[in-house]
Amino acid sequence: MAAVRTRGEVIRHRLSVTAVLVILLITLAPIFWITATAFKPRNLATTMPPTVFFEPEISPFVKLFTKRSQLREPPTEEVYNAAPWWEKTVFDGGEKVVRSGRGEVQPSGYPSRFLNSLIVAITSTVLAVSMGTITAYGFSRFKVKGEDDWLFFILSTRMLPPVVVAIPMFLMYRAVGLNDTHLGLIILYTAFNLSFSVWLMKGFIDEIPKEYEDAALVDGYTRMQAFFKIVLPEAATGIAATAVFCFITAWNEYAFALIMTNRRAQTAPPFIPSQVGSGLPDWTVIAAGTFLFLLPVAIFTFLLRNHLLRGMSFGAIRK
Amino acid sequence: MTQIALHNINKHFGAFHVINNVSLTVEDTEFVVFLGQSGCGKTTTLRAIAGLETIDSGEILIGGKPVQDTRVEERDVAFVFQNFALYPHLTVFENMAFPLRAVRTPKAQVETTVRRVADVLQIGGLLNRRPSALSGGDLQRVAIGRALVRNPKAMLMDEPIGSLDAKLREEMRVELKRLHVEQGSTTIYVTHDQIEAMALADRIVVMHAGVLQQVGAPEDVYANPVNLFVAQFVGSPVMNVADVTLAEDAGGARVTVAGATQGFAFPSALLGQVAATGPANRPLTLGVRPEAVRLTLQPAPGAVATEAHIIEPLGSHDIVDFRIGDATLRARTKAGFVPGPGVPVWVTLDHSRAHLFDTATGQTLGIRL
Repeated sequence: MAAVRTRGEVIRHRLSVTAVLVILLITLAPIFWITATAFKPRNLATTMPPTVFFEPEISPFVKLFTKRSQLREPPTEEVYNAAPWWEKTVFDGGEKVVRSGRGEVQPSGYPSRFLNSLIVAITSTVLAVSMGTITAYGFSRFKVKGEDDWLFFILSTRMLPPVVVAIPMFLMYRAVGLNDTHLGLIILYTAFNLSFSVWLMKGFIDEIPKEYEDAALVDGYTRMQAFFKIVLPEAATGIAATAVFCFITAWNEYAFALIMTNRRAQTAPPFIPSQVGSGLPDWTVIAAGTFLFLLPVAIFTFLLRNHLLRGMSFGAIRK
Repeated sequence: MTQIALHNINKHFGAFHVINNVSLTVEDTEFVVFLGQSGCGKTTTLRAIAGLETIDSGEILIGGKPVQDTRVEERDVAFVFQNFALYPHLTVFENMAFPLRAVRTPKAQVETTVRRVADVLQIGGLLNRRPSALSGGDLQRVAIGRALVRNPKAMLMDEPIGSLDAKLREEMRVELKRLHVEQGSTTIYVTHDQIEAMALADRIVVMHAGVLQQVGAPEDVYANPVNLFVAQFVGSPVMNVADVTLAEDAGGARVTVAGATQGFAFPSALLGQVAATGPANRPLTLGVRPEAVRLTLQPAPGAVATEAHIIEPLGSHDIVDFRIGDATLRARTKAGFVPGPGVPVWVTLDHSRAHLFDTATGQTLGIRL
């Protein structure tokens, strides 16, 4: 990599590095803002100009996970001293944690919404990727009558914005009782992601030399065994890349989740901003919810980063 | 004990007739090489024998049993691919053990078999490596090892050393020959390299445009090509060919290259033999290998005068280009025999190694002098 570079090239190189840094800063700024707000005391969250240096608190997260109500008057010293440390942070903010008659803390709606998001995103990703891989394998390896037309048809399902069909989908779902169910959202997200998954996986599988399967066949395996023992491991990179994209789409989906669910199967995206409406907007709690919501995607992408990098340049190098 | 027999095999890719009525019997332990240009149907024929391609009509028998309708995995043949097709995600050991695992071989036996074959191929030290960490020659050894572990009924090889560099190819050629002598498995080998074919084959099968042209021992195919295609495809440098006319001349025969003023003197028996195959005045093509062309630096009786044009020194011998009439011919001479381009030379032909072909059909007249 030590090719000779002219002065012009050095300058251009420095300029592009600067440009990348600037773009990186712009991209990271909102994430920094959300993270900072998630740890701010409530009164510092909305100051103008924004507070940059502050003493981080955990209270937004305590509030995120509990049901609270406004305090009309400050708690008595006795109550305050008896409260555990995390409850004190809520008292300090002028609120109190709602407890049942037997003194149990009432959780907020967030944990169950978060769990719903996980269930729906993971299941629909697994479904979309596995169905997409098998479909792509079929298109890649066998002569399918009208192959190009089928592939175009599959792609065309992505051509209009999904929200366009939101109302009819809502009516259909209500008729068959899929409203506010996990299954309903899983079917919806799988359908969204499937076309994308087929196309992406077809690209990856096309790149796997057919000879590997031919070799497995003459080695005495059936085509199905060859698929599982050879094609799947070889396509791991593509599967990882496709899974990340599908997971992100399903995880972040907002519009349909808002329309189709309201309680039992509601995912985190429509829930987090819904807290704006209850009492005065508490931006620190919204930021805390968003912050936690970012983590699974970040972790998932981080774990698959090597596959992703290979996936992006897949097929660019011929051995 | 595996004989492979093909009876009237046909296959089309759309309108393209890839395999045109091919019939052939490969005897047990025989090493047969399919030789032809790319696209001549040799690889398709090999894949059809393995079961990787279906055929439109005809019969394929392996060990006497028709297999044209059986699946690949039931035919029990091994296939070595041009690009080796080693599984990149498996180690060398696992690659070689892969066929054994298909038939659920006990673990201990897998271990011993793979190690034994690896030792034969001298890759015992590489068993824990991934294919990506191997050199071309070692990749090829592993690919062959994967084919050998199972004791298959037949070994089918599709240009197995075609992607190696020239020097390695020569080494591997010898190794393949040695392996075949030791293992004695029925082998069909596909190549477009006629030197490889000559060096390896018990019998060569020359294919062109889906049709078998000639089947025979390498020396036989080299010495007695049945048509112009085989004549020009087998041998390096290629056989000289030139359109000629035949005439009687002073009690002998005279073969004159088109556009030339002088002709080569041939025994008069030639005229009779040509007449026996058809009209003597039909267009004929003369074929003569460079080593059957003799050059002298002095005039000789019956020799055609010309001058050397290009000289290729190849170390052990030279190849000298010269023009006679409309044709450019080449002769093989001792190294340094012709001192330089432009030197006058006199050309005679070795009659016993000259071939005459019918220009219209390309078939040999089968003349022996």
